[in-house]
Amino acid sequence: MGGAWFVLISTGVVAATCLVSAVILLIAERYLANYGPCTIDINQGARKLEVQGGKPLLATLMQQQIFIPSACGGRGTCAYCKVTITDGAPPVAPTELTLLTPEELKHSVRISCQVKVRNDLAIRIPEHLFLVKQFTGVVERIRDLTHDIKELRIRLVEPAAIEFRPGQYVQLEAPAYGDNPEPVYRAYSISSPPSDQGHIELIIRRVPNGICTTWVFTRLKEGDEVRLNGPYGEFRLTDSDAEMVWIAGGSGMAPFWSMARHMREHGIQRPCTYFFGAVAQRDLFLTDEFRDLEKALPRFRFVPALSGAENDGWSGEKGLITQVVERHLKDGAGKEGYLCGSSGMIDASVKVLKAKGIPEDRIFYDKFT
Amino acid sequence: MKHDPRLQRVLDRMKSGVLSRDGFLGPDPRPLEEVLDADRSAVAALGLTREEVGARLHEVFDKARAGLGTPVHLGDRLVAIHREAMGRIPCPWGGCGLFPKGEVELTDTATGETLLLSALGIHLAGAHGFYGGRGSRYRLEPAALERLLRLAGG
Repeated sequence: MGGAWFVLISTGVVAATCLVSAVILLIAERYLANYGPCTIDINQGARKLEVQGGKPLLATLMQQQIFIPSACGGRGTCAYCKVTITDGAPPVAPTELTLLTPEELKHSVRISCQVKVRNDLAIRIPEHLFLVKQFTGVVERIRDLTHDIKELRIRLVEPAAIEFRPGQYVQLEAPAYGDNPEPVYRAYSISSPPSDQGHIELIIRRVPNGICTTWVFTRLKEGDEVRLNGPYGEFRLTDSDAEMVWIAGGSGMAPFWSMARHMREHGIQRPCTYFFGAVAQRDLFLTDEFRDLEKALPRFRFVPALSGAENDGWSGEKGLITQVVERHLKDGAGKEGYLCGSSGMIDASVKVLKAKGIPEDRIFYDKFT
Repeated sequence: MKHDPRLQRVLDRMKSGVLSRDGFLGPDPRPLEEVLDADRSAVAALGLTREEVGARLHEVFDKARAGLGTPVHLGDRLVAIHREAMGRIPCPWGGCGLFPKGEVELTDTATGETLLLSALGIHLAGAHGFYGGRGSRYRLEPAALERLLRLAGG
């Protein structure tokens, strides 16, 4: 009996000690851990930041208006927010190990949301991220493009203008709402032309169970204030004169609507065929606008195609968009491919373009799609 | 039942509003360990392993995805349709990469029974033995899963 009490009391003491220690550690971490001012050197002196230590590197950089793309909002799951830490890196956290390849670990690549700033750091990031800014804006117009696709037109307020290349994207912030406890950021291609510096247009298709698109479709109203950051992305027209093959479906229209208007404004006469795939006529949009564009750019051709079985009265192209490309594109040699759409469409399109002779390094798309 | 502290992090990410609007568990009140254990037993009782389920679901998903939004017939009475969506979503376990959004609706035309498959849902089933909480959008009830996979043929 006495032995049982001893075991019980000992267990209780150990458990209580652990609990108290954990609470003390949490309090210390929250209130007492003061790592003091730290310096972050970016790209060998290109920028030097004086920051307060103690927060994750991703959040610290964001406070300093340096935005590293992140799909999970700093929760350590998406592995998008990679940076190279060349000096001062803390040991790799277990949460990072599963997100980094041996090659990345060898080259000091780290998951910035999982690295706490505790001392001076030297890091390397892509130069173009210096141009990324946080914007506030006001929703000027929301219009239905199809039954499940909306176009947002946002007037930028602070800063009031943006510079970007057609094809780039921004991250739109969906604020905390309903059961969603924290703001999240989601990437959307800019559909407006770069000349319209005071506005950003986005084409957004509703995603089942999506945090951001549900907010856009059910809560966002004209006149609301929104926050976004950008521009991001390497998807853009090359400087060559090569003939282009564009392939898109659904909201993958967005970057091409920006590129096409940019081409019209600048009289860019590169030969281009734009294949746009949809299931039914109700999924098509901006068709009249692209027909107008064909008049302004004689070497530009718009080929919408429907894949659904029930499309009576449709006299245009029929079949999966990849089949339509296969029929139209005789020889891909010397041409460039530009893709935007679902991952399935991109995979299938890359296969067709390669089979037609367009080398993989001449086929462009953004990895976030 | 013992609480696995490693699953707490996973559970946190499964909550609604963290990675997806409605989360991964739906209204299921059971602890994650219990959900995993119950489905592990149910799948085993059907003579399947999570790896087999994952591989079969992959086949079905890929066939449907190749339809680019048009209905694809599988076997005599199953129809699969892929609904595209842009973007990618991470696995709540972490470190498994990003999975394209979009879903496949698999329907038994004889009974009207449907299942919703997503690339992440298939990964969760095949790699982690997680089939969704009861009542969640992407719940893959083992018995229904087995029925529909049998109809899909191999």
